[in-house]
Amino acid sequence: MRISELPEIGTKYEIESPKGDKVAVIFLTTGEIELYVLEAGAEKPSVTRLTSEEARRVGSVLTGAMLTIEREDVEVSFSEISDLRINIHVCPVTKYVIGKSIEDLAIRKKTGVTIIAISRRGQSIISPPPETVLEEGDLIVVIGEHEQIRACAREILGVK
Amino acid sequence: MTFLLDLAIVTVSCLALGLASKYLRQAAIPAYIIAGILLGKSGFNLITSYEFVQWLGKIGVILLMFYIGHEFNFKGISEPGRVFTGCTDFFVNFIAGFSLGLLIGLSPLEAFILASAVYISSSAIVISSLIENKRLIYPEAETVVWLMVFEDIILAILLVVLTSIMSGSLAMIPVSLAKTLLFIVFILVLIRRLSNFISPLFERDDEIPILLIFALIFGFSAIAHRLIVSEVIVAFFLGSALSGVKSFRNLFGATISFKNLFLTIFFFSFGMMFQFKFETLSSADFVLALTALITLSILGKFVSGAIIGKTVHGSLETGLRVGAYTTPRGEFSIVLLAVAVGMETGISELLLSLVVAYVIILSIMGSFFAKHGNRIGRTMIVGINKLLP
Repeated sequence: MRISELPEIGTKYEIESPKGDKVAVIFLTTGEIELYVLEAGAEKPSVTRLTSEEARRVGSVLTGAMLTIEREDVEVSFSEISDLRINIHVCPVTKYVIGKSIEDLAIRKKTGVTIIAISRRGQSIISPPPETVLEEGDLIVVIGEHEQIRACAREILGVK
Repeated sequence: MTFLLDLAIVTVSCLALGLASKYLRQAAIPAYIIAGILLGKSGFNLITSYEFVQWLGKIGVILLMFYIGHEFNFKGISEPGRVFTGCTDFFVNFIAGFSLGLLIGLSPLEAFILASAVYISSSAIVISSLIENKRLIYPEAETVVWLMVFEDIILAILLVVLTSIMSGSLAMIPVSLAKTLLFIVFILVLIRRLSNFISPLFERDDEIPILLIFALIFGFSAIAHRLIVSEVIVAFFLGSALSGVKSFRNLFGATISFKNLFLTIFFFSFGMMFQFKFETLSSADFVLALTALITLSILGKFVSGAIIGKTVHGSLETGLRVGAYTTPRGEFSIVLLAVAVGMETGISELLLSLVVAYVIILSIMGSFFAKHGNRIGRTMIVGINKLLP
């Protein structure tokens, strides 16, 4: 990997494969990311411009960190521990839980699901303490087995 | 309320011609100058207060130099071949411009200005064409970007030398040079000393940060003017000093917007003051000089590019591409000329018309060269191989 600074443009990361194909990632000063692919012997490179969000997704696919995304579900695996899969689920709070604390709801005890984060008005609360009270509009991020997550949605949140 | 009318004329005409140039995938700089020529003194003469528009344009030059100073870093200078690359570009093109200047009967000082204008490529056009034409993956992109950085270093030096020489009598040159250098050191030291105090001010959410920047820019420019030191040099080093203040980075985007606006007005104001005389422009001598200048400028960049390519990349073709990419001239050539005109020591009509026509033509031709750099490089190689079997 070769890293070079291009003043007024950004930073270039470049890899050349043994076949002579080149891939370059350029972080532009504008915050966008350009992805160059130049096949050995090709006249012109193929280039695409990504937002940082898109680049992150491409990056996750390449590192194998993300296997599936099904609506609000994300399954994460790790390249080092190949048989470890973690299901992460994002769900909005419902009227049944608003105003109650995580402790009162006893989600963990009843369903085995753990709340790992809350997204509240664009701010995120990572590992919320048990006394955190859920508010209207919160998005909660939970981990657990598929079964447990389904049970949580049904019994605690009242989603059919 | 005539100033509103002036502002409307400037912004609307620049917007229209600017949009047209983007639509045609051309550099916008000549479009703004042409807008100025069309609506200014030599054209329809629609501007009420030329002085007012010129003031705004001067802010543009100050902000441009502030921007260049801020972006400027010579970290890369230690990499192998870098100094050689930069110096080759400078000597080949500067000497070519200087000799031609003397040949067409300019004074040595004017030849110096012409040579500077010939040497300095347009970073704006070169860099945006590297991105647009998807050249960033090629090794020569780094060389070209480095050349732009090196040209900024030389630009600062040229400006210091030029304003010192133009400050008056021969005896005054060392005095004025010393004054400029002292003031630069003063700014660098002062900003470093004050950085702990300034830094938190840049982190505020209100109008204080932007006010602070303009207070620094205008404050130091005013002092510089008082001391008869060039305000554009001061702006350059102020920008470079502020790049050391970490929290300033967040605010830099805002100053770029101001720079873009005022710099456009500067190109317009430069065009509007231009005395367009058909007899001068169509005279055989002028056309001959301009043609020679353009041919020499294009050749110069190809020659310096070829030398750089051969020594640094080990490939003549890569070098010819470097030459093609660095052909566009633009903002800096105009800024240099504007600084020289601003010193009021009498720049000849010939030089002024020559550089204006030169920049308009070479920014357009240069964009074309930069766009088709690949093909031009390859064709030239094929041609050279045929000639030298």
